[in-house]
Amino acid sequence: MSSVVSIVNTQAGNLYSLKASIERLGCAVEIADTPDQVRGERLVVPGQGHFGSVMQNLESNNWLPALQQWREDNKPLLGICVGMQIFFSGSDESPAASGLGWLKGRVERLAFPKQPMVGWAYCEFSHQDFRSGMPYFVNSYAVRESEQCIAKTAYGEAFCAAVKDNNLVGFQFHPEKSSQYGQALIQRALQL
Amino acid sequence: MIACDNQLTARIIPCLDVDNGRVVKGTNFINLRDMGDPVELATEYEKQGADEIIFLDITASSDNRPTALSNVTRIAQKLSIPFTVGGGLKSIDDVKAFLDAGADKVALNTTAVQNPNIINQVAEQYGSQCVVVAVDVNRPEQSVAPRIYIHGGRTLVQRPFYSWINEIQERGAGEILLTCMHRDGTGLGFDCELTGEIARNAKIQVIASGGAKNEEHFYDAFAAGADACLAAGMFHSGEYRIDQVKQYLKAKQINVRL
Repeated sequence: MSSVVSIVNTQAGNLYSLKASIERLGCAVEIADTPDQVRGERLVVPGQGHFGSVMQNLESNNWLPALQQWREDNKPLLGICVGMQIFFSGSDESPAASGLGWLKGRVERLAFPKQPMVGWAYCEFSHQDFRSGMPYFVNSYAVRESEQCIAKTAYGEAFCAAVKDNNLVGFQFHPEKSSQYGQALIQRALQL
Repeated sequence: MIACDNQLTARIIPCLDVDNGRVVKGTNFINLRDMGDPVELATEYEKQGADEIIFLDITASSDNRPTALSNVTRIAQKLSIPFTVGGGLKSIDDVKAFLDAGADKVALNTTAVQNPNIINQVAEQYGSQCVVVAVDVNRPEQSVAPRIYIHGGRTLVQRPFYSWINEIQERGAGEILLTCMHRDGTGLGFDCELTGEIARNAKIQVIASGGAKNEEHFYDAFAAGADACLAAGMFHSGEYRIDQVKQYLKAKQINVRL
């Protein structure tokens, strides 16, 4: 039986690549504009847009209580890039906006002279479910340290490439753009 | 432990010049030769280890004809690595159409020169990572100042090269694609002197383009400071595989994804 995966539509860019990439894993994918459209047991918060505008969009479409409930129910939830960053309390990208505050830490601008970070970087995973490898990154901001960090990489300084807390998983990179390796990471994160 | 303070790898980017839905590669932008189906080539390049793909409709820029969106969608359905599209993008609406069709980034050349504000607009609306500014530069002799061309290399622009490179960055571009026309199609290798000078001083990544014929040319460009290298003919012809070039680079201590 194929699983249904719902993608939260944060209205911040095309979801085409992400949808196609999950479909390649044999799942049915639905884009949900609002929480009442979610039919799947697995949820993905995509990785496009600014921290502040993503939070604003989630709030105006009633996603905040729904995401909170999803987390309390401990259902599989994957956040990608800014979709992972919102798990934390806030970001230097949008100082006025609050994040979900689920994980301790703050999103900060990376120190490397060339911004944004664009390209493939080695990530060393410390969690048995995931193997180390090179996914594709596009970001200028990241979380340096987190108690839930399960993978590290570096761009000017070391930062957290992935987090995991029960069934909550966050990737700072874009697994949907990371070829076969990324496909395997999505599969593990969503327990497909 | 992550020991090194920069894990980012040197990227190799095959370029698909497309005309009427088929990949072509010219010599100095003239004498186009059909090299095959873009989707077929793109998926083959992903398997070979391409880090990204750039998809340019060179005639669209020359003849004011927008690149076919359907080709972009076909590629997005098959690829799971990032890809950039360029050629004939005239407005924010054009950019939006291509990004909505599944492209990760747009490359702006003629339009950026004629209406530089579009760089700011795309960066503000979609983020710097979505906007690659392509610069076609010609410096037939080392003694002359580099000159910028638009319309697929056919029109000389009266704009100082170095100030344009700075302006691109100030306006919020995410990357510069520097095509050295005096090397393109010659097989003499990248212009490492010019590319390295720009790449080492830029605050965004610089992609070297024009002239690659063998693996050593890639090494020379990366050693000079290029962040990524673009090539077409040597890969399209099957003379070199991307993973083969990467093996060579790895052996010479360049950090690549294999």
